[in-house]
Amino acid sequence: MNQRPTRREVLGHAARGATVVGLGGLGLYLARKASGESVWQINCDKCVNSRLGAVGVEACDLCATDCVLALSAVRAVNDHAKCGRCYICPAYFDIKSAVDEEGLPSQKLCPRDAIERKPIGWIDPDDPANNFYEYTIDEKLCNGCGECVMACKEPAGLTSIRLVVRYDLCLDCNRCSIAIVCPDEAYDRKPLDEHEAAG
Amino acid sequence: MQYHRQRVISGKGVGRAEFAEALRGLAVDAQDRLYAVGDSKLVVFSLQGELLESWATERPGYSVAVTTSGTVYVGQPGQVQLFDPDGKPLDTWRDADRMGLVTAIGFGGDFVLLADAKDRCIRRYDQHGKYLGEIGRDNRMKGFLIPNRHLDFAVDAAGVIHAGNPGKHRVERYALDGQLLGHWGRFDGRDPAGFSGCCNPTNVALTRGGHLVVTTKAEPLVKVYTTDGRLLALVGQGDFDPNCKNMDVAVDSQGRIYVIDTARLQICVFAPADSDSTTQPAQPGAGETVRP
Repeated sequence: MNQRPTRREVLGHAARGATVVGLGGLGLYLARKASGESVWQINCDKCVNSRLGAVGVEACDLCATDCVLALSAVRAVNDHAKCGRCYICPAYFDIKSAVDEEGLPSQKLCPRDAIERKPIGWIDPDDPANNFYEYTIDEKLCNGCGECVMACKEPAGLTSIRLVVRYDLCLDCNRCSIAIVCPDEAYDRKPLDEHEAAG
Repeated sequence: MQYHRQRVISGKGVGRAEFAEALRGLAVDAQDRLYAVGDSKLVVFSLQGELLESWATERPGYSVAVTTSGTVYVGQPGQVQLFDPDGKPLDTWRDADRMGLVTAIGFGGDFVLLADAKDRCIRRYDQHGKYLGEIGRDNRMKGFLIPNRHLDFAVDAAGVIHAGNPGKHRVERYALDGQLLGHWGRFDGRDPAGFSGCCNPTNVALTRGGHLVVTTKAEPLVKVYTTDGRLLALVGQGDFDPNCKNMDVAVDSQGRIYVIDTARLQICVFAPADSDSTTQPAQPGAGETVRP
């Protein structure tokens, strides 16, 4: 003969079910983390070099100076889809330097000369302002100092340059030395899928 | 030539005379009334900053201009809306291909001129909205260089178009038929007479005396030049939020300059120091905020 379960029994089953599901989720999370699916990443909305609104401040170079590697595991990348391909790029040139005989800033911004500038498309030999330019960051030279990221940020630029972690170099330290010193808590460990979604 | 900051009009908010998210376009009419567009509305102010009118626009306004007879044109994404002086809609010119993003409107001869920032050129229409031709596109760049995604121009009494070409750090002059008449301007990050950054000047207006008033971003500034490029005045240093860009500018009959602070959603008013003796200059760094 079937008896209807008491209220106490129903609640007990529900609680046990919730516990099993919770433990399962935790186990899955730990398993994913253990398998390396959680990675260090830079949150561009927090990093002072790329965070909109933070203007008139010095670029933060802690990613370059505090990584345990000789060449930091952080580097800058230029999103060409967002880049304005400007004649005078404030991330390439030191726009406060004196103007040379060609009317361009006489000095570059990158201390490691890691950015390459070249005209693209059909090139006007007579008027260099009549060209679009492609700016490519050499990852072998870039140490992630953030100077170009800050200079490219709106309103000065189009915020097409950002800092990223190079996972081929990153040692995936348990206590990342950059994350420890980052004043903006922009260097964070996230599951790989979240990183890719943000990326 | 010197200017002082006289007052601040409007600001960020949800009131009729305020803007919640964006303030983008300015114009002054023949009676010296100030028209401001942003969000999805147009607000008319007296030059003292009092609210006179406010009405909705179909889409967010990016530019505004007023004819001598009082017809108000509001540039929007994909279209231009026309209103009578009381805000009654008169017409809407829709052309998604040729009016991708109308960031400036002007009048020259019998033509209505619209700047399309999406297509990087100025287009000429008759007074009924019939398309007549393009200006500034007959070059190897196929248009103006505007990485800042904003194209602005002003038309002088002789019908000459003065257009900012910020990617080239120039102001270019065009005839109404599209012929390039000349240009001035150069990059210089140190000399204030030059234009710094990737792309300046961003916005252009003309005084009745024939001087050019331009705005720049990073650092946000107003500069007054002769039409051949001699710098006459630097205006508003330190008065704007440093995040401002594409700050629209207008000038009234008394030579007062109206500039949008695009971050604070305010209109800053600067008066020539040698005029307007009826108004008291503000203390340095302390503009009077007028919010009717």
